[in-house]
Amino acid sequence: MTDYLSDAEARVALHDVERARQRVIDQIGMPKWYWWGLAACWIALGVLNDVANAWIVAVATIVFGAVHSAVSQRLLAGRRQTGNVKVRRDVAGRHAPLIVFSCLVGLAGVTIAAALAAYADGAEHPATMASVLVAVIILLGGPRVMAAIRAGASRRDAVR
Amino acid sequence: MTADNGFDELIHPATRLQIVSLLAAADWADFTFIREQLGLSDSALSKQLSTLEEAGYVTIERPLSERRRRVRARLTPVGRERFTAHVAALQGIIAGA
Repeated sequence: MTDYLSDAEARVALHDVERARQRVIDQIGMPKWYWWGLAACWIALGVLNDVANAWIVAVATIVFGAVHSAVSQRLLAGRRQTGNVKVRRDVAGRHAPLIVFSCLVGLAGVTIAAALAAYADGAEHPATMASVLVAVIILLGGPRVMAAIRAGASRRDAVR
Repeated sequence: MTADNGFDELIHPATRLQIVSLLAAADWADFTFIREQLGLSDSALSKQLSTLEEAGYVTIERPLSERRRRVRARLTPVGRERFTAHVAALQGIIAGA
């Protein structure tokens, strides 16, 4: 068959291959409920910091960390945005979980810095203010991080 | 079915090539996902998957999830190897043109 397969036909076939691969890459991402849930929990922890005692805040933080860890093990790599397909790790990018995790650690730092700044400015509920700010960043920035991971996946070679 | 240069006549027809290409980028994919992405009918997709399964290129799994039957397709190591060789053969045709 290769004897009569033309250059143009081979190009069309490779185009089909790449288009199918792109359809799977388009599935890389996190479910919307993850970002909304994370933002809501972030605000809840911020509010607790302002109104509850240290023990309650400590317990709530540990519970949040445990629940997030359990949920994120399945989701953090962005390979299961829907339950209909699981994107291969080498397609999604081996560093995707690290990128998302680093962003979360960075946001924790931003929350602390913003809360300290608000406290120094005399705000009545500094942790709540900081957590609302970071919740907005999560909702706006989370999907953009996944879009960047998708763009990176699209740039990689089709066949490894 | 496979030529010396890796060209695979079983994979090459457009619909099967698209199905295998989808599966090559995934660990597994649901029947409904493949059907919707490629705009195929149930019977057309079943037929193509059966052909690929008989050739040992694809495995069909039926996990019981959320009280409903799902059908998942997964590329076998042999299927992945043949697909990679087939794409290399296509690239070779272009490079040699």
